[in-house]
Amino acid sequence: MKNNRPTSVLSGLLGDNTVLSACMVISPVIICGDTVKNSIALIYAFSLITFFSVLISSFVPKKIPYTVRVITYAVISSLVYIPVRMLAEGLFPSVIERVGIYFPLIAVNSLIVHQTEVKFFRMKKMKMTASLVFYILGFDAVMLVTGFVRELLAYGTINNRMVDMELLISGISSPFGGFIFLGILCGIYRKIRSVTEKAKNEPRGEADVSCQ
Amino acid sequence: MFLVSEIIGILAINLILVNALGTSTLFIASGSRKNLIGTATVITLFTTAGSVCAYLVNSVTDGRFEKFTLLFYTLAVGIIYILSLAVLYLVGRKHFDTSKKYIHLSAYNCAVMGTLFTITQNEAIQGKEFTLSEYLIFGFEAGIGFIIAAMILTVAYKRLNSSSVPGSFRGFPAMLIYLGIISMAVYSLK
Repeated sequence: MKNNRPTSVLSGLLGDNTVLSACMVISPVIICGDTVKNSIALIYAFSLITFFSVLISSFVPKKIPYTVRVITYAVISSLVYIPVRMLAEGLFPSVIERVGIYFPLIAVNSLIVHQTEVKFFRMKKMKMTASLVFYILGFDAVMLVTGFVRELLAYGTINNRMVDMELLISGISSPFGGFIFLGILCGIYRKIRSVTEKAKNEPRGEADVSCQ
Repeated sequence: MFLVSEIIGILAINLILVNALGTSTLFIASGSRKNLIGTATVITLFTTAGSVCAYLVNSVTDGRFEKFTLLFYTLAVGIIYILSLAVLYLVGRKHFDTSKKYIHLSAYNCAVMGTLFTITQNEAIQGKEFTLSEYLIFGFEAGIGFIIAAMILTVAYKRLNSSSVPGSFRGFPAMLIYLGIISMAVYSLK
């Protein structure tokens, strides 16, 4: 039976979220997603690099061997990374140092290098662009929520502004805190998904039946 | 005592437990023993060979063209990627189709690329130029670190994916929390 659910374009935001569902690009979220500032810098980098890399990579001919295509995708994203990095040095000078090696690593994430053919290149250009935007927004949302909650719980601040918090959990800003927080966030996301899907699949009530 | 201190040393700089690099690959690898051995071996080869390439790149560029470092590393890993596929094809043609997936999975992995950047970062922090052997040892240790983390996860893999874990947390979320607890233990070793 053909699946007509309108999930193909919007799925990247919730249904097939890059981090929570597909388990990709999780290291920057775990290590650097401990403050809103870091999160915004990584959102900027991920969004620009992924968008332009996938868009440019979609013009790579499918006739060339898979291995060469993968290398080409990685080289394209490494080239896109250069102007993004130069701009970031002006926009987020203090964060760049804190984010460290995770900034360049974003450019060779598995969404660009390995999953791009499966997820995007089978679609037409317009649909692919829209789908790509929602995949990026999906990552951005997780990154922002993680940065916001971890900064609030670990430092008692929101974007460096003090908040009246009585209990602070400093460990949540560390890598182990990142692992545990992301695990819990992923569990909650799955629970919400299963509840909403159950509600969708439940048989309709009498009123609905009578309307048909 | 030497062995214990070496293991603690490798754990303390473990790319997965300390830097969360290559975590998603680890989840795929720990699913079966065959996958674990295949992926861990290839990742160790890539981190070791990659570290030699990083040494060559850093020696030639000598701190200049910092923004191009990612591009140079990407090209270097690309060469290792093609060479390793060619070697596998020539040496073990029988197993080429079943084994090439490990090379595809490892090539542009965060664990591999992360190792190259971590060595460069450590060099900058310590303010001295590492020798080729130091690059090699670090690359090899990074691979061994991946194997240790994969073994730690493999031990609990079945339980974390069993029906005794609540449905929403079964698999990936439970594995993340488990790695978080192990990471916490490693954190105390530092």
